[in-house]
Amino acid sequence: MSGGVDSSVAAALLVDQGHRVIGVTMKTFCYSEVEGPSQTCCGLDGIMDARSVADRLGIAHYVFDVERDFTRDVIEDFVSEYAAGRTPNPCVRCNGNTKFRDLLKRGELLGCDAIATGHYARMGTSPSGAPLLMRGLDQQKDQAYFLWGLPKTLLPQLLFPLGELTKPEVRQRARDLGLSTAEKAESQEICFVPTGNYVDVLERKLGSGHPALSGGELVTTTGEVVGHHDGFARYTVGQRRGVGGGHGRKLYVLGSNPASRQVVVGSWEETYRAELWIGELNWLTDQPPAGARVGVQIRHRAPAAEATVETLDQERIALTFSTPQRAIAPGQSAVIFSDEVVLGGGRIEREL
Amino acid sequence: MQPIYLDYAATTRVRPEVKEAMLPFMDEIFGNASSVHRWGREAKVKLEEARARLAALLGASPTEIIFTRGGTEADNLAIFGRTRAVPGGIACSAIEHRAVLLAAKAAAGEDRELHLLEIDHTGTVQPGSIDAALKKQLAVVSVMWTNNEIGAVQPIAEIARRCAAADVVFHTDAVQAFGKLPVRVDEVPVSLLSMSAHKIGGPKGVGALYVRKGTKISPMIHGGGHERGLRAGTEDVAGAVGFATAAELAISERDAEMNRLQKLRDKLEFALLERVPELIVNAAGAERLPTLLNVSVPGANSEMMLVMLDMEGIAASSGSACSSGGVNPSHVLTTMGLAPDVAGPSVRFSLGKETTEAEIDRVITIFPPLMQKLRQKALI
Repeated sequence: MSGGVDSSVAAALLVDQGHRVIGVTMKTFCYSEVEGPSQTCCGLDGIMDARSVADRLGIAHYVFDVERDFTRDVIEDFVSEYAAGRTPNPCVRCNGNTKFRDLLKRGELLGCDAIATGHYARMGTSPSGAPLLMRGLDQQKDQAYFLWGLPKTLLPQLLFPLGELTKPEVRQRARDLGLSTAEKAESQEICFVPTGNYVDVLERKLGSGHPALSGGELVTTTGEVVGHHDGFARYTVGQRRGVGGGHGRKLYVLGSNPASRQVVVGSWEETYRAELWIGELNWLTDQPPAGARVGVQIRHRAPAAEATVETLDQERIALTFSTPQRAIAPGQSAVIFSDEVVLGGGRIEREL
Repeated sequence: MQPIYLDYAATTRVRPEVKEAMLPFMDEIFGNASSVHRWGREAKVKLEEARARLAALLGASPTEIIFTRGGTEADNLAIFGRTRAVPGGIACSAIEHRAVLLAAKAAAGEDRELHLLEIDHTGTVQPGSIDAALKKQLAVVSVMWTNNEIGAVQPIAEIARRCAAADVVFHTDAVQAFGKLPVRVDEVPVSLLSMSAHKIGGPKGVGALYVRKGTKISPMIHGGGHERGLRAGTEDVAGAVGFATAAELAISERDAEMNRLQKLRDKLEFALLERVPELIVNAAGAERLPTLLNVSVPGANSEMMLVMLDMEGIAASSGSACSSGGVNPSHVLTTMGLAPDVAGPSVRFSLGKETTEAEIDRVITIFPPLMQKLRQKALI
């Protein structure tokens, strides 16, 4: 329970369904490192909101401090990925490496049968009876993209009570239940980037003199220097902002080269790619065979695009799109679907 | 399943007699004790009666009792009251409650020396360890009467004598001791002593600072000159009466009650030592508060210990509770020299008024298998 409306309603629905529910807030990092007095993390509004909702629902509520693991597994990865010129997905990393794993272990100690979250995703069943992770029914809110990294063995114990609901319905449920969080604003930013600007975190962790945050050249694909930038980690594939004008044409970021500190820019057309390679694979069903046609989602909120699977080696596959896709960012997740079902996914290593 | 409350060192239920004694001050005797009229006079009489009752229990004179809004405020008034009044450094033990430790750090600031007195492995300050500090100019020395986490009783009489001999003002935080141990300022030469009502069946938000006659201190809260100018603000007559009533009850029952609770505490201690392998009783070598037991269970996850106990309906505590509900490692246990993997998985049981033998027996049955389960499950 983050203290937000989604996890609050998820808990309420489970209580309604007659489950014996224990509310848990995972304290992932200490806000005090970012700003404000040193006790800020303890008074964190989210924790208090979650506690108040749990009290309203008549369930126990505990705070699990996972700061150390979260720092190691999520924040450090986030920082080193940016330093290496890639664009990480910390929420994917957290779901796969910290949140669900730690919750399950603690839940087992408490005799819990299942773990539930307020994600907009659904659980289904395959013809052979195996549990399947599926998209949430509300296409605007679907969060299956963030869940591909969960261990497959966890699937039988997952519950997503919001999977069949839309966001307006969830808010209405919260109002009906008189939950204090009903009108709480949507949180879009990454939990450990409360300022909304990830560069603040990089500057704090790497130091502003780090090569990833230091000036370099803007070059075209042919090597022509067309300008300067103030650190490649400040740029994301596909973005135009910060590239500057006066080039005679609109330029977009195509990628960066950490060794030379160059940021490569090009035309709108050049941001399109037909193929990508992914590694760190994780499958929630059987791995699709070479030649299989699948849907591939390359960023949150993007629709899945049709692609063909090609096996590269044990750890990696290539995906060839039927139509080229714009701004494929190494480091981001590519999630593989068959219709609504998440088959698995991986981290994008390169685009071709 | 009846829940079992074993967190009396955190706070206690207000005793029915105390509640009864307080009620008139929210109703017919609602006057402001500083007012000239009959409503005011009536309240003032009761306030001063409460002050005198509390003073008598302490062996003090009524003018030496300053009511505060709690133990933390009394500690702050003692520390800042001294540093605002006189020059000199501060010496306090490293295992003080944060109300003293953080007040001392703040009061010392950049300009004053802060001497942290070391403690031994039993959690006790060696009186001789203050001699070095006493050679410096000191505004105040502060050592708690008994520690709130491990229950170790400190050699207050000896420290007070050394301070008196050096003509240094000595403050003791007696929040956990008052009402449970014989705390008398006519027997021990302390200059300042903090107390709190809610640890002994009184209301929360009420405390007092004993200020020995002639001890120079300055107020922190300025205003209407209440409490001899040391604590401004309209007096909480209900709270003062509640405090005095709770203290009288606690002290009149003290010998029998401490005897009863010590037997239960010892029973719990021996049973857990027998049934939980490698369990460590913290401060075992010290004279301890009879109502408190602090144990470490190496290999168990500290956070989950309290959660699992709560799931079983057992209320205990660990380290110092974070206001978020999380738990921080105890500075007391680490200062005693315990390794983090021993200091972390610790739990404090504190017994009190409503504790029964049946409850202790249930904890003896429930706790060992819980710890076994917890140790089997490695949590990263």
